[in-house]
Amino acid sequence: MGLIIETAGLGRAFGGAIAVDALTLAVSPGEIFGLLGPNGAGKTTTIRMLSTLLPPTTGTARVCGHDVARRAGEVRRHIGYVPQQVSSMGHYMLTGREKAEIEAALYHVPRRRVQARVSELLELVQLSACADRLVQTYSGGMQKRLDLACGLLHRPDLLILDEPTLGLDVQSRHHMWDHIRSLRDEGMTVLLATNYMDEADRLCDRLVIIDHGREVAGGSPAALKAAMGVSSLDEVFLRHTGHALREEVG
Amino acid sequence: MWSQEVLALSRRWLLMVLRERLNLLFSVLQPAVWLVFFAGAMGGAVDARIVGTGDYVAFAVPGVIAFTVVGNGVSAAMPLLFDKETGYLDKLLSMPVRRGSLIVSRFVFQVGMNSAQVLLILLVALALGVRPATGVLGVLAILAVTGLLTLALTAAAMALACAVPSHGTFFAVTGFASLPLLFMSNAFVPLSAMPGWMAVVARLNPLTYAIDAMRLLVLRGWGGGVPVSLGALSLASGLLLALGWWQFARRTSERVA
Ligand SMILES: Nc1ncnc2c1ncn2[C@@H]1O[C@H](COP(=O)(O)OP(=O)(O)OP(=O)(O)O)[C@@H](O)[C@H]1O
Ligand SMILES: [Mg+2]
Repeated sequence: MGLIIETAGLGRAFGGAIAVDALTLAVSPGEIFGLLGPNGAGKTTTIRMLSTLLPPTTGTARVCGHDVARRAGEVRRHIGYVPQQVSSMGHYMLTGREKAEIEAALYHVPRRRVQARVSELLELVQLSACADRLVQTYSGGMQKRLDLACGLLHRPDLLILDEPTLGLDVQSRHHMWDHIRSLRDEGMTVLLATNYMDEADRLCDRLVIIDHGREVAGGSPAALKAAMGVSSLDEVFLRHTGHALREEVG
Repeated sequence: MWSQEVLALSRRWLLMVLRERLNLLFSVLQPAVWLVFFAGAMGGAVDARIVGTGDYVAFAVPGVIAFTVVGNGVSAAMPLLFDKETGYLDKLLSMPVRRGSLIVSRFVFQVGMNSAQVLLILLVALALGVRPATGVLGVLAILAVTGLLTLALTAAAMALACAVPSHGTFFAVTGFASLPLLFMSNAFVPLSAMPGWMAVVARLNPLTYAIDAMRLLVLRGWGGGVPVSLGALSLASGLLLALGWWQFARRTSERVA
């Protein structure tokens, strides 16, 4: 297969404000690719364009070989999107298993295979014991794990994770990282937006740092550190994006 | 595939309602309370010559049904509103789900719930001595009328839910619109007893035709007015449905947070 994600001059404006500006990405099969950048840099906007939720205002993007604007339906069949917010609110009153079964049907998992597939994934994220409890009684970490499982129901070629370990404890983060690595080892491609440099450093094969919607640096974590002669990705990030808070710059 | 999506979404709507037992209980009981207390009390104050029957409860049954369907029409869009605000709508729209399935599953669910409630209202009415003049077939026709009305209201509510910035605006608009919608119709007073200008407004209200058809089916028979009212209602519902569908399609194809 060719590139999993391929964008050329991809951009999105909201009114006059440019959130993403001429982004050119190339992600190969089997990579964990990181999208880094300060708050408001345009990570979620990029992800929303790649998940067909937001049409680009400039440029093009192809996901799994299909144009996100013209072949959105095809793209949706191939991606598993795990949003930044946990979706417990929409599911208060549903159990973890019910939520997963309903989403499996929406991903067109064949009817007779739904139950087995759901059990298998709940087992994978270690939620089997709590599968029949209401989602609203889950901890933040359990909800994130459930959302991850739900993104895998249809065996997507590309898993899109928006801040998968936001608000998780150390144990849960390590578990999440292990899951993501083993998915990559099985051949899945992962696009990961994160604000945690340690996470990017441990997980990503390659990454881009964006600021004000533009790419400011890209490469493997090791290459980025070596190019600057520093030992931490934090240092690389700060040198590229500066120390100013984004709210002050506007 | 299409049926799989609609079934799965309907299951979600059903589970969400069934888990809120108290909410369910009260919304099921409410119309019965209206019929017993409101219609029972008003009956004594109403002139039989004006409403055209000595049985005000029978006269009010279609009004109470319309009241219930309009009330449920507002809640038809609640899950969509909340999915939009919690961000879950993004997840749904990132899946290979037909946009139409979201709205069709709400139709299926709302028509099912409303039909059950209409049957309950008719049972309570029966206990109060109201026997529909058109019998069992008439009851089926009443279900068809409320089904049409449900489609129209659900489509309108879903379109509004897509268009508003948050649930605050949604409830402000529906709160503002639903009472005039009911009182500017023949729900509790016949057109002939209204001031002239109000009767004109009521004639433009699709609800009037739904209530008219149901009232004829309950009080009179299949005669004259029923096909005309059904035709007017179908036309109005078709228009609202098309409008709602178009709005919904437009809003879900480009979703801005
Ligand atoms: N629907 C919208 N309407 C207007 N502006 C928007 C909209 N969505 C995003 N933006 C703007 O686009 C810019 C990029 O936002 P985005 O959410 O993509 O950032 P992010 O990198 O994901 O940030 P964070 O790390 O805080 O999640 C911000 O300036 C934001 O205010
Ligand atoms: Mg974000």
